Amino acid sequence: MRSFFRNWWRTLVVVALLVAAIQVFVRPSTALERAEPVRAAGVVLFRPFYSAADFLRGGLSGVWNRYIALVGVSRENERLRKEVTELRERLHATRDAVLENRRLKELLSYSQTVERRTLGARVVGHDVSPWFRAIFLGTGSEAGIESGMSVVTPYGAVGRIHKVHSGLSEVLLVTDGRFAADVMVERSRVRAIAEGVGGNFCRLKYVSPAQDVAVGDRIVFSGFDGSMPKGVLLGTVVSVDRPKESLFQKVNVQCAVNFQDVEDVMVILSRPTVPFRAVTD
Amino acid sequence: MKHFLVLFALSYLGASLCVWWLSGFVPWFLLPDFPFLAVVFSGLFVPGGAGFLCALPPAIFREITTSAPSWSMFLGSMALYFASREIGRRFLLRSEPSLLGAVVSLLAAESFSVVLLLFLSGGRPFSFLWGAQEAVRIAWTSLIAVPLFLDLSVRWRRVKE
Repeated sequence: MRSFFRNWWRTLVVVALLVAAIQVFVRPSTALERAEPVRAAGVVLFRPFYSAADFLRGGLSGVWNRYIALVGVSRENERLRKEVTELRERLHATRDAVLENRRLKELLSYSQTVERRTLGARVVGHDVSPWFRAIFLGTGSEAGIESGMSVVTPYGAVGRIHKVHSGLSEVLLVTDGRFAADVMVERSRVRAIAEGVGGNFCRLKYVSPAQDVAVGDRIVFSGFDGSMPKGVLLGTVVSVDRPKESLFQKVNVQCAVNFQDVEDVMVILSRPTVPFRAVTD
Repeated sequence: MKHFLVLFALSYLGASLCVWWLSGFVPWFLLPDFPFLAVVFSGLFVPGGAGFLCALPPAIFREITTSAPSWSMFLGSMALYFASREIGRRFLLRSEPSLLGAVVSLLAAESFSVVLLLFLSGGRPFSFLWGAQEAVRIAWTSLIAVPLFLDLSVRWRRVKE
């Protein structure tokens, strides 16, 4: 028996470590939070690298935006002037509708579900592992970032804060397989669960064949599950498949944000309120 | 000490280069996993407790730079260290083909187990294209590993002699 253990103890350690890894993968343990200073020390080691990367990227994009990209700016200026005039006219036309909307909202005591106190943050790196989709931000717990907060850009949703360190936070992208949130089709108000499928895509789950979803539809977060703010754009439907034998449609959504190119994001510091989850004493 | 410093530098610079500098420009499947290589090298070629110590920093680097649930990547990397140690003890790895086989099988085993776990937890983020890209990553990382491992081990043997 002793010789067996002497010969095979490494294999037994491998098995024990794998079991422990699977356990923390499936059910994260709070006991491991005591080891957090070790990881914090590791993050401090990487800081010069990602700060330098951030500085260089900022400098390069500054040179590009201020000098090289100015070629043809007068033509663009002319086009923008025309666009502004058109938009002013359209704004004038919709002002009445906005006022009416405001009155109706007040009438229904509609509460704002998202209090958008945001914080700008720079993307300093990407998770390069093949299994997970995440980006790293150069701002961390010192700025008030907490895990679970939503991360967006003016073009659409990016993801959710996953881990936070001092000076560094990790964002789980909406395309990661572990991401899921309640969404709705902007046009038909059909609700579904969006789940990341890698690449730049998500899929919609639990859309019955009777429900109205079409290619080109915009998908926005409903805000009902409290994980993402209401109305933020997820992306556009690129394919709808209605298999005869299946209970649900297969809907693929291309995300509005290209995660490879994103440089700056906004972290929504206040979590969305969830009306139906509110506990009353 | 020399082993520790060299493997520390290899995994630190490799992770920094891939995660902070090249990510966003170079596709993920062309970026080799240097901390993985450092963990495997310490298991295969660095004997005793020194190997264990050498494997710790790259395992922590993998934990920080990978978006897995907290500490799962660290524990997985330590399991990888003991597995490669067992391979190094039971099979003599001096020729290129056997070294290539060992690295490819460890990379494939790790990838397969993470994919299996994600599948079991309900995620389906993998496609045929992903499989092809992952095959490129495994091949590319293994091809880098063979000359790197042979060069480092030969150098250290010479220093010892």
